[in-house]
Amino acid sequence: MKNRRQSRRPRRQSVPADGANAKAFDRLYRAHVDRIYRFAQRLCRRVEDAQDLVQDTFLNAYRGLGQFRGDAQVSTWLYRIATRASLRLRRKRKGEPDRELSLDEFIPTSDGEFTLQIPTAGLTPEEALQNKELRRALHQAIQKLPNKYRLVLVLRDMEGLTAKEVGAIMGLNERAVKSRLHRARLFVRRELSARGIEEAISHGNAMQGG
Amino acid sequence: MRTTSRAMTTRQTPVHSHHGHSKAQCLKVLRRLSAFLDDELSVSICQEIRKHLGACPNCEVFVTSLQQTISFCRCADIPSLSPAVKARIRREILKAVRYH
Repeated sequence: MKNRRQSRRPRRQSVPADGANAKAFDRLYRAHVDRIYRFAQRLCRRVEDAQDLVQDTFLNAYRGLGQFRGDAQVSTWLYRIATRASLRLRRKRKGEPDRELSLDEFIPTSDGEFTLQIPTAGLTPEEALQNKELRRALHQAIQKLPNKYRLVLVLRDMEGLTAKEVGAIMGLNERAVKSRLHRARLFVRRELSARGIEEAISHGNAMQGG
Repeated sequence: MRTTSRAMTTRQTPVHSHHGHSKAQCLKVLRRLSAFLDDELSVSICQEIRKHLGACPNCEVFVTSLQQTISFCRCADIPSLSPAVKARIRREILKAVRYH
């Protein structure tokens, strides 16, 4: 088995392949569990599901330590494992195929639909997100997205990866990533605009925590 | 199916003039909004889109709400995992590896 610690790629963080062992695993787990849990929570409806996803991801990572080739960042490798695990878990629980989002369904057909707006009354995004209702609406909108769109939106807009990195994780070219991202954003925009969160925010609850 | 019926409605809507331009121009802009907001378009296309947004209040509002949506996604915070749960998950993994 090849020892990645002797790799000539000093700038890459690599996992020792000789150590599919507790020590190497512990290093990996400590360094990345918070990131993967954040990712998992963004993908899952319930906290318990997110914890299951973290467990599945790191279990698979442990078993795959020897196969990690060091040609990608460790975080990208873990995102890929987590992405596959999340699709497996979703399929197990739901069993229905992903529906396609057509761009046409988001094109407003009347002036009223064009002017739908998320009413956050001049607040910064951080301030607006203090509102529990808005946070819940955002989470629910993301959960309503078909899997393949949700994964792209979460990886790109929430985890902050580049389109190229998202493509590498999901096995897509950049063009496909951007196309899915645009549809996913339009979907979430429509969900947030359509919900009755206007009242809660415009009635002085904007800074309410929860 | 909802997707189909909405898409059909869109296609059946006649292209009409509003705010002094064809609605087809709005649709062309809306299709490129993510690329526009992510700064992926050429200078000339960006200028064209900005010109349209300046003349079309509907699209101006639409782009603002899409920008807000993206900002919410980027800023949404997530509670972190408690040390106790982290330790439990680690134990479960080590147990699974040991026994399978």
